[in-house]
Amino acid sequence: MDLYPAIDIRDGGAVRLTQGDFGRQRVYGDPLDLARRLASGGAPWLHVVDLDAARRGKPANRPAVLAIAGAVDVPVQAGGGVRSEADVVELLEGGVARVVLGTVAVEDPELLAAVAARYPGRVAVGVDYRRSADGRTEVAVRGWEERGGQSVDDLLSRLDGVGAAAVIVTAIDRDGTLAGPDLDGLGAVLDATTIPVIASGGVGTVADLAALARLEAAGDPGGPGGRGPARRLLGAITGKALVDGRMTVEEAVAACARSV
Amino acid sequence: MIAVLDYGIGNLRSAEKALQHLGADARLVDDPDLAAGADGVVLPGVGAFGRCAEALRSTGLDRAASSAVERGVPFLGICIGFQLLYEGSEEDPSHPGLAVLPGVVRRLPPGVKHPQMQWNRLEPVPGTGDGLLAGVPDPAWVYFVHSYAPDVTADTSSTCEYGGTVTASAERGTVWGTQFHPEKSGTVGLGILANFVDAVHGVER
Repeated sequence: MDLYPAIDIRDGGAVRLTQGDFGRQRVYGDPLDLARRLASGGAPWLHVVDLDAARRGKPANRPAVLAIAGAVDVPVQAGGGVRSEADVVELLEGGVARVVLGTVAVEDPELLAAVAARYPGRVAVGVDYRRSADGRTEVAVRGWEERGGQSVDDLLSRLDGVGAAAVIVTAIDRDGTLAGPDLDGLGAVLDATTIPVIASGGVGTVADLAALARLEAAGDPGGPGGRGPARRLLGAITGKALVDGRMTVEEAVAACARSV
Repeated sequence: MIAVLDYGIGNLRSAEKALQHLGADARLVDDPDLAAGADGVVLPGVGAFGRCAEALRSTGLDRAASSAVERGVPFLGICIGFQLLYEGSEEDPSHPGLAVLPGVVRRLPPGVKHPQMQWNRLEPVPGTGDGLLAGVPDPAWVYFVHSYAPDVTADTSSTCEYGGTVTASAERGTVWGTQFHPEKSGTVGLGILANFVDAVHGVER
C-alpha cells in the first residue's frame, strides 16, 4: 500500500478542510513548497485536489496543479473539477500521472469510459460518500455540496468493466477529523469491487495507516477456495495528519509497509 | 550540454527539470544539428511506440540520436525512449526502432494488470552496479508506467517482477536506458540520473 499525501488547493493556497466544509479550513501556505517538502521527505505519490474547481466545475488552480506535477520527482494524482475530456487531456499531457474523475463519473459514464480507454491505467474515479443514520451510504458530488442519489455499492457495480484504474473512496464524515478511517466501510468496498482501491478520510495516526494496510490481507481469501476476488488496496491518502506534523512522511511510509 | 530530445510527443519538462536540479545544463532540443553537438543525449518518450518512432523520424532527431550513440556520447533512453533503442516492438511492428540494442520490445506477461503503473522493486543483475545503477540502495523502488518492455538480454542490467521477469534497465557501453521513470522515482531516481550526469561530465566513480 502506497502513501498518498494530500494537497488541497483553494484560492492558490494549500488548505485542509474539515469534513469537506468550506467554512472550516486551515491554510498551509504555498502548495508547491508543500509538494516539494512531501516529495523530498520520501512520499511515493502526491494527491493534489483543486478544491475551487471541485466546487464550481471549472479549473481554478490548474496552473498550480501542473506546476507541482512538473516540479516534483514523484508521480502526481490530481482531481477536483475534472469534468471533460479536455480537462483529462490537459492534466495527463501536462505531466500528471493519474487523474481522478468525481462528479462526471456519476453523471456521464460514457465520458468516463472514453477517457479510460484513451489513457489506460491513468484514470481513477473518486467515490465520496456520507453515511446516513441507518448506516446507508450515499455518494456526494459537486465538491461534496450536493447528493448524487446513489449508494456506494450501486456506483461501484456501475464502474465494473469501465476501465477505471482505481477508485478513491473517501468517507466525508471522517475527512479532516483525524478520527480514524471508516475501516468497516472500506472493508465492504474492498469486497464489493475488483478495482484497486485508494482509501481516504480520517487518518490521524501511524496506527490508522497500519490498520488500513492490514485491511487488504484481512479479506476473504481470493483465488481457488476463496469466495471472492482478493482485496486490492493500492494506497492511503493522508492530509492533515502529515501537514500538522502528527507523523513524518518517513513514519507514514513505513506504516504503509510499501509492498507490491 | 545535455540535449533532451524534443520530438513533439508531449510533456518532457520533468526529465529536463530533474537533470537541471542535479546541476546539469540540460535543455529541450528539437534541432538535430544542436543535438549532434551535445555532450549527452536523453531520449524520453510517452504513449505508443509507433507514434514515438514516427515522430522521432519526422523530426530528423533519429539520425541525431544514432550519431550520438556512434560517437560514444553518454545516452539515456527513458520509457518509450528506452524501447526505441531496440529493433522494434510488438506494439507497432510496422515501425522499426533505432536498433542500437539487439532485441525486441514485447507485451508484459499475461495475468497482471496492463499497464504496470506502480512503484516496483529493482532487481539488479549481478556485476552491473558500476554504471547507471552505481550507488543504488537495496532495496530500490522505482516508478513504472508501461504495457511493453524489451527482451531480457545480455545488456539487461536490472529487472523487476511483474507477472514474470521484466527488463527494468539496460546498459551497453555509453548507451543506457530505463523502462521506469527515474525522473519520477524520488531520491533513487535522482541518484540514477546523477550517475548519467557524472558520465556526461566524465566524473570517475
